[in-house]
Amino acid sequence: MKRAIATLAYLYALSMLIFLYGPLMVMIVMGFNRSPFYQLPFHFDLIWFQKLVTNERILVATRNSIVLALAVSLLATFLGTLAAWAMARYRFRGKSFLQVILVPPIAIPWLILAVALLLMFYWLKIPRSLFTLVVGHVGVSLPYVILVMMTRFQGVDWGLEEAARSLGADPLTAFRRIIFPLILPGLIASLMFTFAISFDNFTLSHFLAPQGVSTLPVEIYTSIRKGFTPEINAISAIVFFFSATLVIFSGREIKFVE
Amino acid sequence: MMKYKALVILLLVVLMLSACGGQATPQPLAPVATAESEATAPERFTLRVINWNGYGSDEPFVLEQFGKLYNVKIEHDYINSEEEILTKLRTSPATYDVILPNVAYLRIAMQEGLVEPIDVARLQNWEKLLPRFKDLPELRDEAGAVYGVPWVWGATAIAYNTEKFPNGIDSIQALWDPSNKGQVGIFDSFEDEIVFAGLALGDKTPYQPDDLQAVKQKLLELMDNVKTLWASEDEFNKLFANGDITLGNYWSGAAARAAKMGLPMAFVVPPEGALGWIDTWAIPKDAPHKDIAYKWLDYMISSEFYLTWDNTAGAPAPTTQASLDALAEDHFNRAVMGNPEVLARLVFMETMSPETREEWNRLWEEVKASQ
Amino acid sequence: MGRWRRLFSLIVLLTPSYGWLVFAVLAPLGIMFVFSFLSDVPIGERAVFFTLKNYQDFFQNTFYWRLTAKSLLTGLYTTILCILLGYPLALIMAKIIPHRWRTALFMLVIVPFWSNTIVRLYSWAIVLRKGGVLDLFIQWLGFESGSLEILYTYQAVLVGLVHGYLPYMVLTLYIAIDRVENSFLEAAASLGANAWQRFWRILFPLSLPGMISGSILIFIPTIGSFVEPRLLGGRTGTMIGTIIEDQFVQLFKWNFGATLAFLLLVVVLILMALLGLLLRQMRLLRGEGG
Repeated sequence: MKRAIATLAYLYALSMLIFLYGPLMVMIVMGFNRSPFYQLPFHFDLIWFQKLVTNERILVATRNSIVLALAVSLLATFLGTLAAWAMARYRFRGKSFLQVILVPPIAIPWLILAVALLLMFYWLKIPRSLFTLVVGHVGVSLPYVILVMMTRFQGVDWGLEEAARSLGADPLTAFRRIIFPLILPGLIASLMFTFAISFDNFTLSHFLAPQGVSTLPVEIYTSIRKGFTPEINAISAIVFFFSATLVIFSGREIKFVE
Repeated sequence: MMKYKALVILLLVVLMLSACGGQATPQPLAPVATAESEATAPERFTLRVINWNGYGSDEPFVLEQFGKLYNVKIEHDYINSEEEILTKLRTSPATYDVILPNVAYLRIAMQEGLVEPIDVARLQNWEKLLPRFKDLPELRDEAGAVYGVPWVWGATAIAYNTEKFPNGIDSIQALWDPSNKGQVGIFDSFEDEIVFAGLALGDKTPYQPDDLQAVKQKLLELMDNVKTLWASEDEFNKLFANGDITLGNYWSGAAARAAKMGLPMAFVVPPEGALGWIDTWAIPKDAPHKDIAYKWLDYMISSEFYLTWDNTAGAPAPTTQASLDALAEDHFNRAVMGNPEVLARLVFMETMSPETREEWNRLWEEVKASQ
Repeated sequence: MGRWRRLFSLIVLLTPSYGWLVFAVLAPLGIMFVFSFLSDVPIGERAVFFTLKNYQDFFQNTFYWRLTAKSLLTGLYTTILCILLGYPLALIMAKIIPHRWRTALFMLVIVPFWSNTIVRLYSWAIVLRKGGVLDLFIQWLGFESGSLEILYTYQAVLVGLVHGYLPYMVLTLYIAIDRVENSFLEAAASLGANAWQRFWRILFPLSLPGMISGSILIFIPTIGSFVEPRLLGGRTGTMIGTIIEDQFVQLFKWNFGATLAFLLLVVVLILMALLGLLLRQMRLLRGEGG
């Protein structure tokens, strides 16, 4: 009985992974397909990878996107975790208000926020720069981090921390040894969500990036209007393989507490 | 052990970053580099251009030729709609050097004072423009000052699959023909679709519709035939290549490019007419580098530029006789677009008042929402 | 010392992120809120005046309500489908999969989303179209049912949305379920609780915060979505999100676009308040029962 359930469970997990990864596999396969219009039947060709090598715009834009997403995910996760911690650790007046104002940033389409930010910076006479770009990206990422981290913090037994403190641990040690392992899954989820949010964000980058600085989503969204090439699939495939390898490597290293 | 593995992971990240950059050291958010500019002396300054991505002016040969000639770096800011050109000019004044609005949007930019008058005497190639473009009243204000240089032009008409329609298409009504149900792809633009419906109703002046309700009814009928609405050239080509659609309204330049890439696509300007458009280069108010902007305008309407663009990627129809003459006899832009009869059938885009735009847009929204 | 220290901690912990949110999100959205009551965008030399016309326009044109309702329903379907598909997966990951695989699997759920939405949706088009990958797969399985042909229908939009938002549900649920210690469940078992009781009485209530966070992160963005409906929905792909997008991209009607977005926000807040009430009631009922 137990075995049957386990087998079923594995089958289910596998089918969900197929659902999640199916389109990704198609995307990668199309990077090796000769037709620029994704036509089937499939003809193997490396032409798009060859073109990619000389397409400096896409390469630089990809690197910009990765650097930006890394910076945004680290910054947003750090700041958001602090806020979530405060909300979980302390009871105070206005807490539910602070929670409610997380809703508009998620509910209002980013397009509107991007246009509004553009105008606000114009009125404040702040030129578009890396600063304005990071301000926007971190801004939309924060509510995600706070919500995810609050979910995790809700289960934390604060007595443990106090016990450690009363046994002489300084606050930092108490955090590192007691709290950090408990919230690790939340931290990883936050980092990965915010990386995804920034890495795939077209509207904010399109309106807020300084002139001459491009990101991968901006390249993709603007290039479809007048034609588009599977070089995009080629670079997506490369990014995918690197991130999957990275994740499997680090997944073996980072252990969630039992 | 843990430290060792962390190092491996870090290494992977660095490797990934440098692999993407093509340079050995990751340099955070470097501006997009132009093709191999390291060998030359540092550029004097950067010429900032607003245009569509992949629309001629960002071809590598331009960055190479023009950039070298004047020792400038060319940076493109890409747009997703004509409206965005205006947004960029309104919120970033004195930033851009040259922009590419179509004639209708050039008018709005003129009315808002976002563009500067152009001293055409400074353009060597100005006199080479075909009279019908050079003398276009829409380029001028009341005093006769010119604000835009016509670059290329084209039509939004009908593209169809030559395998599915071996006898061709001879009427705009094909889009409404019940035998084409579920095979039509239409451009998601209230202006284009309302003009199309007007033309299909036999209206010769679709920008001043006789009966907007009849237009709406006609569009509702069109929706019955529609498979999907497209918003970009890439989308249309994919729909077409994979058999999701066999006909639809499409851009002339895009159809020519698609045929060049091997799709069984033909393009026809039906007898009822179609929509014409003209893209113009203009200089924004307080552009930082006006001298080079003039050089850019001159270069953009040169036959040398046009022909190289047409050879490498495929271009819309040219605005100079010299470019037209240099094309092969059977070249689409010469044989079809160069035909005066075809030209006479086109209704060129007009500048609409905000009220009309609002009214038309709401009508189109209602049609789409009815599905 | 307690009180001041507490206050100090609160300020230090909350100010950075909330300060950032106010500057980067709430202030600009405030500007947009004001815009929704103006006749035009106040840049350049435009004559701008206070008006309720934008709101009147919404209420006078029934098709805007219809599209809003359609979008709300789409958000609801997406959320429910994500819960139905995601809950078992989260449960399996947290309680059945061997420990050493958990972190990797957890992260693998989100890796697909380190890719571009447009490219992903194009890939879905390849899968869902007539004669596409899904049809080929079904034929390969031996069914001769012809084509499913769901590309450019409403179902295709749902497939794209569920795929895009499922990780939010799986991961937030995992985070919540993972906190429930196994010893706790074992204790319940030794007290005679069967599997169903252990799930319904212990796991489920404790996983509720995760489900709520996940639902918020799915429902709210999906009602404003426009890329998925546009690229997969065909002629059925017009929703309130696509209308809002048009106001900003195709037209210079930021005021009306802002109006639509804020009306949507009001609906969301009302729904969340109702949900909050419902949960409180449920908790009260549970309290009485146990």
